Amino acid sequence: MDEAEREARRKRREEWASATLARQTAVMDDLAGRADSAVMWAAVRRQANSYLRHLATWQRSKGYSGIDSLMDAQQGRLRDRVASAEAELAAVGDAERRDAESRLGLRLAVMGKGGAGKTVISSTISRLLARRGRNVLVADLDTNPGLVYSIGLGAADVAIPVEALEENAGSAYGWQLRSGLLPREVVERYTTVGPDGVRVTGLGKIGEADKISAKRTVVAVVQVLLGFGEPEWDVIGDLEAGPTTPFERYHAFSDDVIVVVGPAWRSAMTARRLLPMVGEGRSTTVVGNRFRHEPDHPGLAPHVRIPFDADVAEAERRGLSPLDECPDSPTIKAIEQVVDLFVSQPVHHVPTHHVPTHHVPTHHVPIHHVEVRV
Amino acid sequence: MRIAICGKGGSGKSTISGSLARSLARRGHTVVAVDADPNPNLGISLGVPRDTVETMKPILNALLDAGHTHNDPKPLAEDLLDHYGVDAPDGIRLVATGKIERPSDACLCCGSHNTTRQFFGELADDERVIVADLEAGLNDLIWAKPGANDVVLAVSEGSEKSVEIARRAVVVAEELGVTRIIGVANRSTSEQDAARVADALGTVEFFTVPEDPAVEHADHLGVAPMDADPASPAMVAVSELADLIVKQ
Repeated sequence: MDEAEREARRKRREEWASATLARQTAVMDDLAGRADSAVMWAAVRRQANSYLRHLATWQRSKGYSGIDSLMDAQQGRLRDRVASAEAELAAVGDAERRDAESRLGLRLAVMGKGGAGKTVISSTISRLLARRGRNVLVADLDTNPGLVYSIGLGAADVAIPVEALEENAGSAYGWQLRSGLLPREVVERYTTVGPDGVRVTGLGKIGEADKISAKRTVVAVVQVLLGFGEPEWDVIGDLEAGPTTPFERYHAFSDDVIVVVGPAWRSAMTARRLLPMVGEGRSTTVVGNRFRHEPDHPGLAPHVRIPFDADVAEAERRGLSPLDECPDSPTIKAIEQVVDLFVSQPVHHVPTHHVPTHHVPTHHVPIHHVEVRV
Repeated sequence: MRIAICGKGGSGKSTISGSLARSLARRGHTVVAVDADPNPNLGISLGVPRDTVETMKPILNALLDAGHTHNDPKPLAEDLLDHYGVDAPDGIRLVATGKIERPSDACLCCGSHNTTRQFFGELADDERVIVADLEAGLNDLIWAKPGANDVVLAVSEGSEKSVEIARRAVVVAEELGVTRIIGVANRSTSEQDAARVADALGTVEFFTVPEDPAVEHADHLGVAPMDADPASPAMVAVSELADLIVKQ
């Protein structure tokens, strides 16, 4: 690539980034324009903070130094949004404010080594949350198929459809979310309704057409997750195996991250490599999966340990949802405990088999910092 | 000969790659093991000490540390192998292409894909066997671009998800013009299980590696199954797989 070509590419990248900032402003305008309650103002504050956290990664990156002044202006606008939302929230009582914050919903990403069980955990968490009366959006952030099976949709195609996309030469994979389309509109119009009413979306899959058709969905789906600020919605992202997608910040939308670790030594090695990639401002929860009698990995004591269960393995073999096939499995019971870590009392579905271990509102999720020794 | 091993995360790519490399080396072949996973761990399955696996510098990370930029001429694959490879048991040379260690501005992942491609394209393969353990999923297969003279192993364990990804690997490899694609049912629990995988993959050549507690135990400890118990059923099967691959 010669100098002129590099310069042209840099320019296209900057144009895309500028338009992306304008898109963020449209999302904030839409959310704030509908803000008529404490929970909506809490949502405005969370969304602005989420964009600010993402913007900070751009501001540290050399790739966007040409639009420094634009990013500074955006930072100012988002901080103003946070301040005005806080003023609105300060005007209501403590109890009402806490109630509003507890109704925001989760923003949860799931990472781990291939085969660790990310997808079974993500899809089961999604359905269990829905059964507690919550609105749930789950995104399959893997260009290899998987989540549709574990959630109980068989071989369905849930990828964000091409009519929600458009080409853009400055975007990372040449495509982005169609201009003028709000993330919440994508969730309404272009997601698949799965079991228990969970909304399902995701990336295109490799092996159906070419690599571009799978990858062209990436930027759009990340834009949808990052800009879907609706309160009373839980958003779950199931990342592709290994460190590549955390490196590319597919989990930019998340406030909480689950790192799944299996009993194998290499699974623990992978988890230790992933922990530093979670990023600032997010809680990290280690979930052990498929443990039989193996001891914990040093420095990686899981907050919940999901036991191995042959019935789950059998459901996986058949490409079916473990929640449908073996609802009484100890695996499902342990995943209920994971859900209890993140949400307060169940709304509709009251489990009788155990007492929830935590009763904390969403905004008070404990920060599970894990000591890392590499 | 170049062999690319691909499949879903957790299907056993690295276990098969490492054990296959050891089997080939013990048959007298000169073997280069390429760890193309940005989460490199092939060394464990080869029998490289865990500390060495943790500390070895993949090519791309080493080049970045040395101040190498996109604009610099790319060193030759042979030189990279000499400089950044480590020795593994049975005379194998192990090299990792790139490791993602932290959020960073440099596009390490694309870079490691390119390095994998370079290894696949450049390393002479007439007098040695190159065994490349690819990243989970199918991305790396597209980047590595194996061709007509190469061998692709599509590895699957028994789950529907794993079978579906291996099936797609076969489709992609066919599109790339690979003429020798071997389906591998790994951790197979029964003949029916293996037959189901074989049917789904539809490859001319197909091989079964049985489920084996010895391999699971070695994996838990982080040691090579070929060192833990070379006579275990799965390791015997992989040795037979090595024979099948080189007999032509």
